Amino acid sequence: MVSSAAGNAELVRLRVVHETHYDYVSPVTLSRQLLHLTPRSTPYQQLTAHRIAISPHAAETTGGSDYFGNPTSHAVITAPHQALSVLAESTVELRARAFDPDTAAVPAWEEVRDMLEAAANPATLDAAHYLFASPHITLGSAVLAYAADAFARGARLLPALRELTRRIHDEFKFDSKATSIATPIDEVLELGRGVCQDFAHLMIGCLRSRGLAARYVSGYILTMPPPGQPRLIGSDASHAWVSVYCPRADGAAGAWVDFDPTNNCIVERDHITLGWGRDFGDVTPIRGVTLGGGEQSLNVQVTVSPQAAVGD
Amino acid sequence: MPTQLLAAYPAAAARYDEMLEAPNRPRAHWRAMCEQLAAAPEAQMRERVSEIERQVRENGVTYNVYADPQGTDRPWDLDLLPQIIPADEWARIEAAVCQRAHLLDRILADVYGPQRLTAEGLLPPALVHGNSAFLRPAHGISGPGGVQLHLYAADIARAPDGRWWVVADRTQAPSGAGYALENRLAISRVFPDLFRDLKVQPLARFFATLRDSLAQWAPQDGSAPMIVLLTPGPYNETYYEHALLARYLGFPLVEGHDLTVRNGCVWLKTLSGLQRVHAIVRRLDDDFCDPLELRGDSALGVPGLMEAARRGNVLIANGLGTNLLESGAILGFLPAICERLFGEPLKMPSVATWWCGEPAALEQAIERLEHLVIKPAFPQIRMDAVFGQDLSEPKRRALIAAMRANPDRYIAQEQVRISQAPVWDRSQQRSLKSGAIGVRVYACATPTGYVVMPGGLTRVATGPDARVISMQRGGGSKDTWVLSTGPVSQFSLIRRAVTAQDLVRSSHNLSSRVAENLFWLGRYAERCDNTARLLRVALGQLIDDVPDTPGSDSSATVGLCRNAGLLPREGCTSSSDIEAALRRAVTDPEVAGLAAGLRQLFRVAFQLRERLSLDNWRALNRMLQSLARWEHEVPTIAEALTELDQAAASMMTLAGFALDGMTRDQGWRFMSIGRRVERMQFLCASLNAGLDMRAGAELDWLLELADSIVTYRSRYMARPQWLPVLDLLLRDESNPRSIAFQLLGLADFLRRLTDTYGQSGAQTLTPLIDALNGLDASRDLAPDSAALRSFMNDLHSQSFALADRINQRFFSHGDEIVQQMQAA
Repeated sequence: MVSSAAGNAELVRLRVVHETHYDYVSPVTLSRQLLHLTPRSTPYQQLTAHRIAISPHAAETTGGSDYFGNPTSHAVITAPHQALSVLAESTVELRARAFDPDTAAVPAWEEVRDMLEAAANPATLDAAHYLFASPHITLGSAVLAYAADAFARGARLLPALRELTRRIHDEFKFDSKATSIATPIDEVLELGRGVCQDFAHLMIGCLRSRGLAARYVSGYILTMPPPGQPRLIGSDASHAWVSVYCPRADGAAGAWVDFDPTNNCIVERDHITLGWGRDFGDVTPIRGVTLGGGEQSLNVQVTVSPQAAVGD
Repeated sequence: MPTQLLAAYPAAAARYDEMLEAPNRPRAHWRAMCEQLAAAPEAQMRERVSEIERQVRENGVTYNVYADPQGTDRPWDLDLLPQIIPADEWARIEAAVCQRAHLLDRILADVYGPQRLTAEGLLPPALVHGNSAFLRPAHGISGPGGVQLHLYAADIARAPDGRWWVVADRTQAPSGAGYALENRLAISRVFPDLFRDLKVQPLARFFATLRDSLAQWAPQDGSAPMIVLLTPGPYNETYYEHALLARYLGFPLVEGHDLTVRNGCVWLKTLSGLQRVHAIVRRLDDDFCDPLELRGDSALGVPGLMEAARRGNVLIANGLGTNLLESGAILGFLPAICERLFGEPLKMPSVATWWCGEPAALEQAIERLEHLVIKPAFPQIRMDAVFGQDLSEPKRRALIAAMRANPDRYIAQEQVRISQAPVWDRSQQRSLKSGAIGVRVYACATPTGYVVMPGGLTRVATGPDARVISMQRGGGSKDTWVLSTGPVSQFSLIRRAVTAQDLVRSSHNLSSRVAENLFWLGRYAERCDNTARLLRVALGQLIDDVPDTPGSDSSATVGLCRNAGLLPREGCTSSSDIEAALRRAVTDPEVAGLAAGLRQLFRVAFQLRERLSLDNWRALNRMLQSLARWEHEVPTIAEALTELDQAAASMMTLAGFALDGMTRDQGWRFMSIGRRVERMQFLCASLNAGLDMRAGAELDWLLELADSIVTYRSRYMARPQWLPVLDLLLRDESNPRSIAFQLLGLADFLRRLTDTYGQSGAQTLTPLIDALNGLDASRDLAPDSAALRSFMNDLHSQSFALADRINQRFFSHGDEIVQQMQAA
């Protein structure tokens, strides 16, 4: 496990620039975009600066929030165009999460499963949104079998989650060519490769097929360059990981703990959260429908850079 | 009592019988019908049956139509005998369906709102969050008046003890109300006296109530509300009904790409620009409605529709997400929810149903499997109902394993022996069969509560497997008669009065798609007419003439046939080959010709169904059916000529409807333009073929092609010569088949389009009209006139250019391909 470099009290300030550029072969006469590009505010993440710039200029833009409480923007571009750029710039401040996964008393995973099934209090009721199969995450026998080792009878939930995170990291190869957004998790299992979305989907599938509540988190990560080398601007992409509901044994409201199977870590102050949902489809950063356009090509660049921390 | 008829009626084994209370003893509400059936002469009964068949055939009532008469369209199966329900029994059904509609609407409001039912443990979270029909983007949209469920249908069936049970709920876009209407039209016509004497309740008011309630709830902006019916298109299995309802309710029938969302409002794309749409009655499934927020691969929906609904700018009936309650898994939870929300018990029980997601229910279901029917828990899961009693041991074990692996996905339902009703046996003389029946009952929301249609769609299963009633499996249907004791009830219409400013003279909401279809309707109708005439002339010449003489008149018509694709370009030169090919061209839809042309005409007419009168449609249907008789053989020359005579007459009838039966709106003009463009092209080709003939060749055929032979004879009493023939076919403005008539008419129509839509290209015809007027009668009306030939060349190229221009100016949809995109 990689651990975060920042001390617990420290506030980390990160700036992210996310640029998306589409080129079309023929003119688009009407374009409608649904954006999940605004970082969500949480107890551990504060959005201090944010703007979205669209070119050509959008005739209408409406802000809102989706079913899961994530901020959204809806943009309509009516000027005919053959290229579309969407630029999202955000600055966030991240603090340590209140729930310390190393010390909290989290029960065995079967107990957690039973608590979730009973859905007896508001917290478990909320977690029930994330218990079931979803369009990108079908629950077959292959995913159930994959996690069997980590989830032995009576295993404590947190160690089991760490073990599953490690296994996916060790057994799958990061390969941006192997899969697409439509690749089902059973196929990812067979291929043994994929990208962060695939690993997140796979891990969620493993958990939901055992009756545990897991959500898909969309966001960014600060990638540290090897010592002595400059950061590669624009080489970073948007990122995805998994959040798992962990109640306390004493019945007090639990917390969502984030695991990043791509980097084999528990999420701390290197991750910027955009939002969460059941899977990629609920929080796709940019989802759109165009009239016309013909063939399209897409170019995405994400740059995450540390800012001077507060009080420095 | 009509014992003979009833004695042969198969007794119900442990089923409730709708007609008999004891062997040979009809129930009170069936007596009048039984007496009528026994008393009616054999011939009258046969007449009634064939009257129904004729109406179904000629009205083109179909289910499962794929728009192509060659496709798998199935004529609607309607039984002669109605399902009869007495007034007191109906009162109970009505109250129960009202209550249930209201209950389901409140559940939708909760699930798409505060979700208290799941919090209170009355609805398992799996039935909401684990239900793929739960549309998260629809959460928080309450709909105008807080109503989601505008039109609801309950499928009810009767148990052996006579009690009615709800088998299934239709909450998304209940189908069949239109078929119920169609059934009523047919059956009330064959039993007019009984219908009156029994005081059968009419259906019309229900539809008026539905329309008025929608109009009342639709967002107001000062103008009369525009309500459209959104269909997935002609390939949908119940498209016939969409067209019927649209015509009946007076709503434009639209497809997804006819609508667009701008400024958060929905608009209809019309030739005169965007027209605001205030309410949408949808027959499109939930997840197909908006490719932006719902299924991205849907080409049928309207991008942004969800956002328009969210802003309250459009009423969608039923609300998006209502498919959720078609999940049978919810049935078992309704009694407790009803008690909780209304403080009263459910008035009509659901068929006992267990959702296997509850461990105790799963074990019960497995234990009692042979008495149960296993069905999918959620509407999105594709699976046929499985009857436990039918399963072999290995299949039983496989099913149990599947249920244990994914219990949430299954429900177990008690197998009910549903009631039987008599079905008139069409294959036998005066004989009754029995069939299992279920009734679909409809309710619509009004500002003062739900109203139930006094009637419904009764479905019958007569086959060996009468356990499943399904139109998709080829079941039949019945009209449903709800009797009344007093005078037929009148409830007040909430519709506001029509005022002078509501008067609509021409529909300004002609969509581009409809205009294009009308243009092609005109062209194809004229093309069929031309083809029929050309084939008739060409076949006629084969009888009369000695062919194969170069320069003879038949070489001109043969040339025309080759150009029209009726004969191959090369080969096929002997008169016997030509004759065989032409005979085929009359009836074989696989080759270019009359039958193929009629199919094209039918296809485009199908897309316009809601705009064509029933008479129009019947004429078209009759023609197709007449030619369909020749499916496997080629007619003789005499038979072919008879078919062609009939076709020419039928095309005249269609043209007559267009002239006499349609209002002169812009839609009519597009159709007429199509007709005239086609006629001008055909005339031009015919004249050019004639002008190329050797000098002195017969010209009768040319007059026949142009249907002008009678006029010619009445004027000239001489054998046709070029000067008078050209005068009649080129310059005579009073001859509806002349070039002058087409040109002047086209110029006039285009000018009228210009008034409404701006530049339409009317002026491009002016040089042609001038050139025609410039032809000198003494010099240019002869085959060797250079001025005539040059005019004909221009006419030829201009008539094609005109068709292209109209297409580009009005119908260009090149940029309308919807694409989806996603980026991480």
